[in-house]
Amino acid sequence: MADDLTLDHDDPAAFVAGSVPGRPAGAAASYESGDSPRWTPHAIADVQAKAQLGRYQVRGFSTFQRNLPTLDDLVFVPATMTRLPLEGYREDCDTRTVLGDRPGLVENPIELDTPVYIASMSFGALSATAKAALGHGASRVGSMTCTGEGGMLEDEREASDVLVYQMTPSRYMLDLDHLRRADAIEIAVGQGAKPGTGGLLLGMKVSQRVADMRTLPVEVDQRSTVRHPDFLGADDLRVKIEELREAVDYRVPIFAKMGATRPRYDVAIAAKAGVDVIVLDGMEGGTNAAPELLLDHTGIPTIAAIRAAREALEDCGMADEVKLVVAGGIRGGVDAAKALALGADAVMIGTAALIAMGCNSPCFVEDYEAMGTAPGRCHHCHTGLCPVGIQTQDPELEARLDVDAAAERVARFLTATTMEISLLAKACGKSSVHNLEPEDLRALTLEAAAFTGVDLAGIDRPFDW
Amino acid sequence: MAGHDPGDGGDVTAPAHSPAAGTGAGAGTEEIVEVGHRPIREVNADIRKAVARGSRVRVQDTLSRHNLGVALPEGADLVFEGSVGYYCGGLNNGATIRVERNAGWGLGEAMASGVITVDGYAGMAAGASMLGGLLHVRGDAGPRTGVAQKGGDIVVEGSVGFLSGFMAHAGRIIVLADAADAAGDSLWGGEMWVAGNIGSPGVDSRIVEPDAEEVASVEDLLSSLGVGDVSRRWKKIVSGQKLWHFESRDAQAWLMI
Ligand SMILES: Cc1cc2nc3c(=O)[nH]c(=O)nc-3n(C[C@H](O)[C@H](O)[C@H](O)COP(=O)(O)O)c2cc1C
Ligand code: SF4
Repeated sequence: MADDLTLDHDDPAAFVAGSVPGRPAGAAASYESGDSPRWTPHAIADVQAKAQLGRYQVRGFSTFQRNLPTLDDLVFVPATMTRLPLEGYREDCDTRTVLGDRPGLVENPIELDTPVYIASMSFGALSATAKAALGHGASRVGSMTCTGEGGMLEDEREASDVLVYQMTPSRYMLDLDHLRRADAIEIAVGQGAKPGTGGLLLGMKVSQRVADMRTLPVEVDQRSTVRHPDFLGADDLRVKIEELREAVDYRVPIFAKMGATRPRYDVAIAAKAGVDVIVLDGMEGGTNAAPELLLDHTGIPTIAAIRAAREALEDCGMADEVKLVVAGGIRGGVDAAKALALGADAVMIGTAALIAMGCNSPCFVEDYEAMGTAPGRCHHCHTGLCPVGIQTQDPELEARLDVDAAAERVARFLTATTMEISLLAKACGKSSVHNLEPEDLRALTLEAAAFTGVDLAGIDRPFDW
Repeated sequence: MAGHDPGDGGDVTAPAHSPAAGTGAGAGTEEIVEVGHRPIREVNADIRKAVARGSRVRVQDTLSRHNLGVALPEGADLVFEGSVGYYCGGLNNGATIRVERNAGWGLGEAMASGVITVDGYAGMAAGASMLGGLLHVRGDAGPRTGVAQKGGDIVVEGSVGFLSGFMAHAGRIIVLADAADAAGDSLWGGEMWVAGNIGSPGVDSRIVEPDAEEVASVEDLLSSLGVGDVSRRWKKIVSGQKLWHFESRDAQAWLMI
């Protein structure tokens, strides 16, 4: 009886040397390494996990999708003969950034010293110390930060010179006083990591304090509503925006934040509905927790979203009135500068700011190991067991984060990022980072050229459909 | 489902026109603010000024305009003499507001405190996400009444529409007539009280018999509004708590959401 396993060493055709007992003849390598392109170790583990949990897997950090086009497929083409560079280490390049400067509708636009600011990350996902550190860090360098889903923390308000108040569909702790103390209001329609779904905070993080702020039972696995309770379509949103303007007496700008899905249409609709700033978050966007399938298989990558969004604003004649902020997988000044060149007015960072504070740093290594991970590969934010005190509500873990030191790291990272952007801008001959344009870029791949409309490197022609 | 006739709420009798806005009215006096086709920003500014002068405000010619009387403070006392559009009394911070006819979507949304009374009907999402205070609708209220409510009381003398109480966290929604389908769906906390019929209870909701003390508290509130009636048979909808935790493994409940 053939079992395909027993190798007949006497068979003259057998590869005797190198064969593995118990493996089909000649097929040792493929069985041993498990390199089925379909049933990868990850796919096998996923089935096994679901078979035990009876639900999809949830995790933090951001997508692990390997097939995404990235901003790395674009390079800058600095000034050479056709234009003049600025002195990279001497001459000035303006990095000031204004958001929400709509005459008549916004009395106090946002004015920042850098085009980079800290994303909405909720207290609940983050510890109170992390929120305070982000606020202090951003304020030290003229940047800003945002509340996130769980309401406004007093520490955060005090720490942040400029603070955006996020209004999510769940409306946790939506409070008139907080709205009026904010420097801008962000209506959250979605986020890049999990578009089409609401916030998710597992019970480990729903401490008494978090629960009180959100009016939730302690330790529930909080899955928030995705639709706003009191508006559905764009027409209603228009009325809602007017209500918010009335509530804050037209003092501050209104943002809308959305995951990148159909930016050409979504951005146009939001602009027409009357928001002052659109925040577009690509599928690489970070999160404290999301169903893994959403992280990896929903939304579109940041590189593909920016040009479509910019063109949408131009097509509806609102490019001068409505500002575009881009987020999702921005790792530093290079990504940020590319996003600006593609059409963003500013860039928002989440994960990079957490890493700057100490996420994935090699301290408390045994605690990473206890979660089955290691510094440099941790993505266990959903567990609430963050070894470095950033994404936890455990008082002992939280105390590990030194607010002042973390704030200083955030400030220095923002400074470095801003320097990187202005270095690239000056090399391209720009006296303002906001003068970066698609012409300053070239695409290294057909795919990047097709997604962005940027000319192909060397040949200097667009991808021709 | 039986509708509810809010009585004479729909019939507006012309009020006495006491001192007009801007005539130096002061504490205890009544001022009139006309809406018509004026910009809402201007109308609300006039309302706020009158409130700041300590006047009671009668708002006329409301034309169902949106965003009237938003984010008003404690001490404000307003009557809208006609119907209002979306978000009337939204983000209310202590004001007493009466709407003599009907109200559109999001009446009193996110209100923290104060009292809003509608003599007619209310549209979708009345009291959405409200934190406190009292919302009193004398007629029917639309779908999603009290959606995401976080506190306070909503009293509807008539019926409420589909998915009322959806994902409410705290507070009470008290319905004197019927509740349509999916009543109290996915509650975190909070309570929905229904004296009439329930079309169908929402996902992960549980209908329980309230105890005497709870009933007395509800009836006391209703008596204070002039609609107490101890002969009512109350059904109270509360959270089934099966959706509170991912690990509850209640496939039936999970597949419904
Ligand atoms: C820990 C964490 C918490 C977050 N919380 C929120 C939130 O409350 N509301 C929201 O709209 N987005 C939230 N986000 C998404 C960020 O606002 C932002 O869109 C995203 O982090 C950008 O991508 P990046 O992390 O790659 O920079 C969160 C992200 C992280 C990493
Ligand atoms: S170190 Fe903390 S913040 Fe960073 S990935 Fe791990 S759990 Fe998340």
